[in-house]
Amino acid sequence: MQKHEQISAANSNTSSLVIEQLTIQRQQQVLLSLNETIAGGDILTIMGPSGSGKSTLLNWLTGMLPKGFSAKGNLYLNGQSITDTASHMRRIGLLYQDPLLFPHLTVSGNISFAMPASAKTQRQADISQALSQVGLAGLEHRSPQSLSGGQQARVALLRVLLSQPKAILLDEPFSKLDSQLRQETRQLVFEQIRQHKLPAIMVTHDQSDADAAQGKIISLF
Amino acid sequence: MITSKSGFNTLVRSSPYLMMALLVLPVIGGLIAVVLPAFGWFPVLGHTQFNINGFVDLWQTPGIGNMALLSVSTSFISTLLAFVITILILASYFTSPWLGYIQRLLGPILVIPHAAAAIAIGFLITPSGMFSRLVSPWLSGWDTPPDWLFPHDAFGLSIILGLTLKELPFLLLMALGVLAQPELGHTLRAQHRVALSLGYCPMTAFFKVVLPSLYPFLRLPILAVLAYASASVEIPLILGPNSPPTLAVAIMQWFHDVDLSLRIKASAGAIVQIALTLMLLLSWWLAEKLIKKFCQSMLVNGKREYAGAIIQNITHLITVMMLTVIGLALLGMVLWSFAGFWAYPDLLPKTFVTQHWQSALQQMHTPLLDTLLIGGCATGLAIVLTLLTLEAEQHTNKTVSRLSSVIIYLPLLIPSIAFLFGLVWVLEQINSYHTFINVVLAHLLFVLPYVFLSLASSFRRLDPRFSYVAASLGASQAKIFWQIKLPMLLAPIFIAAALGLAISFSQYLPTLLAGGGRINTITTEAVSLANGASRRTSAVYALVQMLLPALGFLLAWALPKMLLTHRE
Repeated sequence: MQKHEQISAANSNTSSLVIEQLTIQRQQQVLLSLNETIAGGDILTIMGPSGSGKSTLLNWLTGMLPKGFSAKGNLYLNGQSITDTASHMRRIGLLYQDPLLFPHLTVSGNISFAMPASAKTQRQADISQALSQVGLAGLEHRSPQSLSGGQQARVALLRVLLSQPKAILLDEPFSKLDSQLRQETRQLVFEQIRQHKLPAIMVTHDQSDADAAQGKIISLF
Repeated sequence: MITSKSGFNTLVRSSPYLMMALLVLPVIGGLIAVVLPAFGWFPVLGHTQFNINGFVDLWQTPGIGNMALLSVSTSFISTLLAFVITILILASYFTSPWLGYIQRLLGPILVIPHAAAAIAIGFLITPSGMFSRLVSPWLSGWDTPPDWLFPHDAFGLSIILGLTLKELPFLLLMALGVLAQPELGHTLRAQHRVALSLGYCPMTAFFKVVLPSLYPFLRLPILAVLAYASASVEIPLILGPNSPPTLAVAIMQWFHDVDLSLRIKASAGAIVQIALTLMLLLSWWLAEKLIKKFCQSMLVNGKREYAGAIIQNITHLITVMMLTVIGLALLGMVLWSFAGFWAYPDLLPKTFVTQHWQSALQQMHTPLLDTLLIGGCATGLAIVLTLLTLEAEQHTNKTVSRLSSVIIYLPLLIPSIAFLFGLVWVLEQINSYHTFINVVLAHLLFVLPYVFLSLASSFRRLDPRFSYVAASLGASQAKIFWQIKLPMLLAPIFIAAALGLAISFSQYLPTLLAGGGRINTITTEAVSLANGASRRTSAVYALVQMLLPALGFLLAWALPKMLLTHRE
């Protein structure tokens, strides 16, 4: 806990994600335009039918825009421009609808993979503590395939959070969970985002997700 | 599906057994006919007592240790190199369009027969080859061909080069095939993106996330390549040292010796060859376990960047070098086949003539016809057997058992040098006059596994509802097979046929042995021309060897399109 508070304290003043005058084009046709500032702990929700450019926006934010698209505009994270930064240097965490846990690593291996290099024993202690916080105490050495869907989703969340990202993107993160689990997991994820004061963008086509985020909602068509 | 008793259904039901018999009996019979003489039982020479004299003879052969060492080292090093380069290429170009370009450039190499590839590489590195011409005299100062032993160097470096260049495209295409599987490929790419978003550099992300999931799919192809390389004959024969050669080449020479008593030593050698191959496979498996144990903790140590940029640059260099070597080797061969007078340090011939092509094409009339006939018969048989077996699978509603699927690949996993001699001996006892049939049967052993491998997935993926609809309309099983399934599978059948032909065209040892020297194909002619005769004639033969399978694939690609547009 102590460690998490330190991180939040460090981020609380300056953390923000700024999308400045963004236009994404596909073959001279404008797909979307956006100009937004997201403060730490806020969740911006992007809604729209498939094909409206939601995933293209996420691809631009992570620096993985596929061939055939072109983008104008700038991206600032905590005041620094990361528009042209390589994908893996951006420190923007990603949470997909599939947990995408690595099958060749254990639960603790998956989380340890995400953490910055440090002493092994300290990392193990942090992992155990984080697991018990989300009700997964004692599952360190299980293989991800042996967990239920909800448990996998929580491990994926811990993996992102313990990598100490500076912002977080949610790509329809709850759409594969049934309604009871969906509500619980959503609450957990949003709580953690607010607690860590991370600016977040969520892409979804579910109205209840959007309502629960309690932030600005943008609809793409 | 409930089926009625009809002639067609009986044929279909019995075909899997026929196919298994055609694969198992020759291999088992061949092995027995090698094991018995190896332990002294050779009635033709009056030896009817079991002993280990053959192995003692083998042990006392001068240079036997070097032969075994050469076989082991060249196959292990070349497989390791091919594997490492495959992984480096995948890791460096995982998210780049270059992966697709490299695949398209290397794909055709796969169907070049080993003998032709060996000839082309020999041309490149021989003292008066393209490589030495390219650096002479401006860089090297050579006015006459340098005095080096390539391509027959004693360390087997030329063999390693040849094997690596042939194995690499196979492993790379296998890996890309795994990545092209819709679900698995998608997941692996998504996991790679997750690792990037966690701050891993692309190279490290590949090694820590993608490779551990990808490797299990590559294990079998790698072991197959290793087994093949350890006992292959064509490449060491053309690119290897002569005294001592690799063990497989030596065994072949002993078997072919006019002195029949050498057959006992050769049989003992074949047993040792199997042991060496098994030992190599075991070593690879052990090395894999050790590396896994050693590296497990590195996966989760949180380190995101090793020397990614340096490795990336090394990979660029290796890729460019490899493509250059292949390009130069092919270019050299085309130049030689048209070369008139070509003085040493000159990069290009003074004159170009077509006379080598004209005279070679006249000479190769009979071998060419035999090549096509044998290939056509073996491939036709293989396609019919495969289709009937796959159809039987759907009648009985179960895929071939695990045992059967191992049996199908048996001829590819057991070193052919170990069972072919026994097989030839068995065939000679049964029918020694019909060498043509013997050659076709020997080719079938190697053609059938590939044809089955290539057809099985498309046949099994065919939507079963088409058959259900047809059956509900009153069509018999035979009618469904001929009028629904075959027309829908036209394109994959043509591709399988082209693959079968390419495999048959490239067979050296089975043709040589089963044909008893009386049947020559383009490949046996090319190999015997490679180490003597005119380099120009040799170039023509090697090029024809490459053109034949290429033509086959071109037809397989074009014919279904033409047939289908005709119908419209």
